[in-house]
Amino acid sequence: MAAETGTPTTLTLKSNDDELFSVAESAAILSVTIRNMVEDGCAGGVIPLDNVDGKTLASVITYMNGISAIPADEEKKKSYRDKFLSDKDFETLADMVLAANYLNMSCLMDAVSAKIAQVMEKKSVGWVRRKFGIENDYTPEEEAAVKEEHKWTFEGVETDDDN
Amino acid sequence: MSSENQATREANQEFISKKQRLFSPMAETSSNGSAAAASVTLIPEDHLFSILLLLPVESILCFAMTCKKLKSLAYSDSLWESICKRDWGHIPVDSLKGSNRLHQFPWKKLYHQVYLLDSVFCTRLLSHKNPDAVLEILPCPRASHSLNLVSGCLVLFGGGCEGGRHCDDTWVAYIGNDFKRKLNWQKIASGIPSGRFGHSCIVINDSLILFGGINDHGARQNDTWIGRLTLHDRSGSITLSWRLLDITSTAPPPRGAHACCSLNNKRMVIHGGIGLSGLRLGDTWILNLSEDLCFGRWAQVVVDQNCPPSRSGHTLTHIGGEQTILFGGRGVGYEVLHDVWLLDGATSSDEEGNWRWRQVLFELHSVPRGFDLPRVGHSASLIIGRRLLIYGGEDSNRRRKDDFWVLDIGSMVNGVYRKMWRRVESEGERPNCRSFHGGCVDDSGRFLYVHGGMVDGVIQPSDPSGLRFDGESFVVEVVVLQQP
Repeated sequence: MAAETGTPTTLTLKSNDDELFSVAESAAILSVTIRNMVEDGCAGGVIPLDNVDGKTLASVITYMNGISAIPADEEKKKSYRDKFLSDKDFETLADMVLAANYLNMSCLMDAVSAKIAQVMEKKSVGWVRRKFGIENDYTPEEEAAVKEEHKWTFEGVETDDDN
Repeated sequence: MSSENQATREANQEFISKKQRLFSPMAETSSNGSAAAASVTLIPEDHLFSILLLLPVESILCFAMTCKKLKSLAYSDSLWESICKRDWGHIPVDSLKGSNRLHQFPWKKLYHQVYLLDSVFCTRLLSHKNPDAVLEILPCPRASHSLNLVSGCLVLFGGGCEGGRHCDDTWVAYIGNDFKRKLNWQKIASGIPSGRFGHSCIVINDSLILFGGINDHGARQNDTWIGRLTLHDRSGSITLSWRLLDITSTAPPPRGAHACCSLNNKRMVIHGGIGLSGLRLGDTWILNLSEDLCFGRWAQVVVDQNCPPSRSGHTLTHIGGEQTILFGGRGVGYEVLHDVWLLDGATSSDEEGNWRWRQVLFELHSVPRGFDLPRVGHSASLIIGRRLLIYGGEDSNRRRKDDFWVLDIGSMVNGVYRKMWRRVESEGERPNCRSFHGGCVDDSGRFLYVHGGMVDGVIQPSDPSGLRFDGESFVVEVVVLQQP
């Protein structure tokens, strides 16, 4: 196993659309899922990550490399995370939350959750449906009833759906 | 290589299936690489809740409106309990949990009720006569006294009574955790502190801190007192020992009819009042107390031009953090005020730090029935849901009021001035028009206790001079738990 040799070990990760990525083991084990596989000795060859696509995995690996290069300084790590997420669109963030959950990376999960909340704030129902890929299964009558039920909180709230 | 790869894959699969299967078959539709959105239903519930908890309530409900599944998720009682804790703090939620056990009132409904706050419910408290007492059995009717709630006991001190005389008596009534309609008043001290009215008194842990006031010779005080209350579990008796607090600095100039509140259970802040020469004051002072409450140090807050004008009969209310709200009062020209000011010490770490006054500007004419808002001698208490509940007081014609107003701190902070003020109806027994009463709120912010004050006289209620001192007590319930 990796640690015994003392030299930096590289892992190969494979996305569900068959892209291969090399990443230093020390960075990859930020993912508890990957760390468990390494510790269980099942990370010998290519590690297939069946629930992450290449585009998302590339982003996650950028994050793994970036954050593991920063010494134990929570302040600096936070500013790295903020900068890393600042240019991500909503679709990428949604994919990343699923990837972070699958890979069990709590620090990325928390940061992405906060970013998603920030983007979701003040958006309309239609916007949330569209962006989250939610199918509206209300009948028009039911929808009107739910809307009426929530009227108390929407008074004076304006949405900004400029994507 | 391929067989090895296969083995890894199988191990990986097994590992995943050993863990929770978080992903439904819908995963495939979400990762087809197109702009199609990832389905939110794939995010495990606890992660989804932590995202939702970062959002304002309207965004959470917006989320609930997207589809039926997410509605049932976003209506979850445990999510709303967390939202209540987030927005009200733990103490009100725990208190409601205690009394909600029988009702099983859903948290979302409670949140809704507190959010709307259509009405408050008033109940007159019966004063129970202590059979052992020979002479004085109840506090005499009075106004400009202090009323505090400390360690589950209402504590009443001083005030002015019939004939313009001051009172020097301290009374306590145990309330406990259970709301009862009866008050069992016990007189536990007299003469200490010396008689006065228009003083101010706050609670710090199990102690009261009292400052200033006026006696019936017109002498204004600047002494600081501490009263430590002990509730004896075994005998059920209550003791309260008053003593002068050792002040290691210059004290604020003597005064009465000033405003005060406690800051985070460790400091007292006072503002204004009527000073020695009868002039209204506009200075701000903060009392810093030693850990053991043996010593205190008064420091005047250095202010710039932008600070509340001099006044008396106004209120200061701590709203959390280092923030305090000043409202109303009577100005130097005898006019009755409606302005709101925020004292913010957020930038100060040391005790004589950087306190700032800032006026919260709003248009009185844009507040529905706003012409009723200016007042002096009212009470202003922080209640559940981060709001100030304002009750009573009198207008510039000395007409006493029986109305309740809510100042929404969230709207104020976010600059939604249109929603900042609201008049709230009262149900139950009407607590009369009154001013210069005592008012205090329990820790949960659900119950406001009101005692005494000036009420309209019996003979000619509309005549300003037709007033009398009152000795009644009320409890005002902010959240009424009713069967849905």
